[in-house]
Amino acid sequence: MARDPKSPETKLSHTAAMILQALDAGFVYGFSIMEMTGLPSGTVYPAMRRLERDGLIRSHWEKQSIADAELRPPRKYYKLTPAGKITLESSRKRYPLLERLIPSLISREEARSV
Amino acid sequence: MTSPLAWRLLHRTLLSTASLIVPGPQRAEWLREWRGELWHVRQACSPQNNAIPDRQREVTAFCLGAFQDAFCIRRAEDRNQSFFAGLRGTPRLCLLTMAAILALAYTVALLLPGIRAERNLWPRKLNPNLVVIEGQGSNNDAVPTISPSEFRAWQGRRQMYFDALAFYQVRRQSVDPELLAGLLKRKATWAVAQTSPNLFTLLGLPLWFADRAQASSGAEPRLILSESLWKNDFGADPHVVGTEVRLGQRSAKIAAVAPDGSIGLPGRVDAWLVDPDAAEHATGPGYVVAHLTAAGSAQLWGSFVSIAALGPDNTEDELLGVAIEECQPSPMSIYLFGLLLAVLALPAITSVSLGEYSINPQQTPWSTKLLRWSFLAAKAALLLPIVYFVALDLAYGCTWVSRESAVYIQLACGFALCLFGMGWVLKDQRQRCPVCLRCVAHPAQVGQASRTFLDWNGTEMMCMGGHTLLHVPSLPTSWFSTQRWLYLDTSWGFLFAGSTRPIP
Repeated sequence: MARDPKSPETKLSHTAAMILQALDAGFVYGFSIMEMTGLPSGTVYPAMRRLERDGLIRSHWEKQSIADAELRPPRKYYKLTPAGKITLESSRKRYPLLERLIPSLISREEARSV
Repeated sequence: MTSPLAWRLLHRTLLSTASLIVPGPQRAEWLREWRGELWHVRQACSPQNNAIPDRQREVTAFCLGAFQDAFCIRRAEDRNQSFFAGLRGTPRLCLLTMAAILALAYTVALLLPGIRAERNLWPRKLNPNLVVIEGQGSNNDAVPTISPSEFRAWQGRRQMYFDALAFYQVRRQSVDPELLAGLLKRKATWAVAQTSPNLFTLLGLPLWFADRAQASSGAEPRLILSESLWKNDFGADPHVVGTEVRLGQRSAKIAAVAPDGSIGLPGRVDAWLVDPDAAEHATGPGYVVAHLTAAGSAQLWGSFVSIAALGPDNTEDELLGVAIEECQPSPMSIYLFGLLLAVLALPAITSVSLGEYSINPQQTPWSTKLLRWSFLAAKAALLLPIVYFVALDLAYGCTWVSRESAVYIQLACGFALCLFGMGWVLKDQRQRCPVCLRCVAHPAQVGQASRTFLDWNGTEMMCMGGHTLLHVPSLPTSWFSTQRWLYLDTSWGFLFAGSTRPIP
């Protein structure tokens, strides 16, 4: 049964929180999340299916023309939904090391500019 | 060394194989995503970064992960699509399943020809106060002792002890198969009882297919087949009724089928030839069935009655009347007997206790307790007719099974179904949460396996509604002899997200 995504009580496992954090950090497709988190494909993809089912992330296919231009197959991108962002915030409080493991996009840009 | 092409083929095969697990409508998109990702994985694991075997192993590991993903999608789909997804383990599903089995067993009982034929005989009850009359000196019930002249003399006079009489004499007669138009394969010899027309009326027994025969009745004598002959020689073919048979020099029309085993008449009879002048045509002694008057019934001593009757030469004959008793119990009495045996045998196969319902700190309301007992009663109430109809289907479903065998089949099936059915009802009740009546799940072995029988070990199961935890000891001991329930408070609720947790 899908959990209520708007519920602030929604609690994620550490793995799911890491995937949300990776998505928020700009790793927007399965393989990049694997590389970032170090989780195997058999964990990442099923977890993303569950997060999508629960309405915390959503997916879309990139345009075929873009893929054709780069001579590669099109890939499926994932992004956080508003509910996913709220849940990620509560997960960050629950797992304080999350942001250190996977720094967010803004933090990385700030670090780069310094 | 394996060529890169072989690796590519292997990876594509792995993904294609895993895609077969994914439900059809989602398969194409799922495969597209994994193939797209595979391309990027291959690019990332370039030869510059790794040695070739390591690189291919990484890609292979990535592809193997597709199986976990595919299984995950399949499980989610199965949960969503299953009609009973929300009902799994609930008391409603249990009762619905039992009701469906009952409906099926009842429908089968309505449709099976053997049971349809049997149903015409239920409730089967012989007319009361019937006796077979024998001479006082007769030592053998199977030997006919009454001469046709005696019968005629009794019939002609008003008797004190009996008010209706029927005569029959059994003779072996050959049957010509020619007239039976292929229904009878070979020439046969039957034990034919030439009987007065009132015998079956006197007995009060219904005959099968009697209505059909009346429509086509003519002037010929009527022949009533015994059930065993009808099943063995005619393959229980109902179309045999109405056909003509040549018995020796006489021809007769098959008029009905008489059920076997229910009437304790002496003499083995294959067919009954109804003859208004049975006593006149009889060549030797026969059997007489009589209905006792009130005076005759008053003289009954157990199954016997001494009768005095005026014979043909006006002398008083001392006779013995042997009561005709129903030889075969009705299906309901067989069922009740099987049920009784099963109840007696039940403690031998399972504990009749429902376990220990410890005190719930959250105060289980009386309505929940009532619901628990009502559910047990409902299961038992559904089980009983299921056993009755299933045993009936198995015993009487096949027309080629004789009624004598059917009685034993019904008893054996009824007993076994009752015994194991009641065992299941109790076991199921023991494994249902006392709060929500859902089946507990996820059994886990806990404790150390004991060598001294002093350590506790057993199985723990969890109510998926998050109400209770069930402890079942592996070895019942004096301090932990039966299963125990541990009631969980609301702080456990977060572990059961998505489950319905009614307030206890």
